Amino acid sequence: QRFRFCGDLDCPDWVLAEISTLAKISSVKLKLICGQVLRDLLGEAMEYEKILKLTSDAKLDSGDVKATIAVLGFVLCSAAKHGVDSESLASELQQLGLPKEHAGGLCRCYEEKQSCLQDRLRARSLRLSRLGSVCWRVDHTLSSSELWEVNEPLVHLTFNVRDGEHGGTAAVPVVLSADKFRVLLAELRQAQALMNSL
Amino acid sequence: MLLVLSEEHKAHLGALPLVGDPAVGELGRLAVELLRRGAAPRACETAARKLSIDVDTVQHGVEGLTYLLSESSKLMISEIDFQDSIHVLGFSDELNKLLLQLYLDNRREIRRILGELEPKLPSYHSLEWRLDVQLASRSLRQQIKPAVTIKLHLSQNEDQTVQVLQTDPSTLLHLIQQLEQALGEMKTNHCRRIVRNMK
Repeated sequence: QRFRFCGDLDCPDWVLAEISTLAKISSVKLKLICGQVLRDLLGEAMEYEKILKLTSDAKLDSGDVKATIAVLGFVLCSAAKHGVDSESLASELQQLGLPKEHAGGLCRCYEEKQSCLQDRLRARSLRLSRLGSVCWRVDHTLSSSELWEVNEPLVHLTFNVRDGEHGGTAAVPVVLSADKFRVLLAELRQAQALMNSL
Repeated sequence: MLLVLSEEHKAHLGALPLVGDPAVGELGRLAVELLRRGAAPRACETAARKLSIDVDTVQHGVEGLTYLLSESSKLMISEIDFQDSIHVLGFSDELNKLLLQLYLDNRREIRRILGELEPKLPSYHSLEWRLDVQLASRSLRQQIKPAVTIKLHLSQNEDQTVQVLQTDPSTLLHLIQQLEQALGEMKTNHCRRIVRNMK
């Protein structure tokens, strides 16, 4: 059976297997655990001791606690990835066997943080390189060993590029004459106009 | 299959009957630790002091035992062959039984450790991908050119390397089809026969 939150594919077996573990925890506590998992997904630290305290009533062993965190992480991330709205997510989780209050609590958590989660996933998407900053300087060449009076302006540009492949920043210096710089500027303005028209 | 012990090896192991049987147990334990974790000179010194023998003798004895155990485990020799191989050392029956027990108890673990020593190729760690569409370039406007960019993370003995690949969707579909065909080969009679015989 296909589920939208799994990207129109079958639900993974390990998720199905752990739904019954989620049902053992009370729905109020499940909502709080969801909050912690969302904190981890959004890049803040997850408070593992709080989760252990919340699951202690349900008498889950450490393997079950980790499985619970993994399943909640998968469901929330996958739903955000495929842009599933919270009502569809609630009905699909109920189809998997999660009780109604549990599904409702989970989806309320999801709805609050859905756009934050999607923004974070968007920021983490593959980017090969990124422009960090541009520095520039305009010089005026007075003379050289080849010609006594040169009198030409010169632009120095330094692009600070963040390399996505290996991490780290590389500085790329470029020197342009006035004419070349005008051509560069014109081409980049055309590209900008195209981007704005999308 | 019999083990052939070199003269030097025999000389190192010749120290064993001198230390007494309980000490041989201790040296055996040190030998297995040597295989598990690597050299521990301080442990050998402590053992030498406890048994009141020369450190070098203890060291050679432990190394000799280590080599005996690793060669026997590597070749997976049977009990009878092991007993025949160490018979040439002329030890007492008690000592021979002790050594045999040491071999049988630790054989599986030593084989597991030896199995991890083989050279490894870079293996798959994870994959990131993105789908882009090129709409225009400096030379040509009004294009539609989809491309898939893949960042393949590989790991080899704790080193992480990264490969960036780019392909168009039709090549990607062809790639997927080829890989699925490769997986499908496992279901042919030929492969099934081999897998059955290996088990």
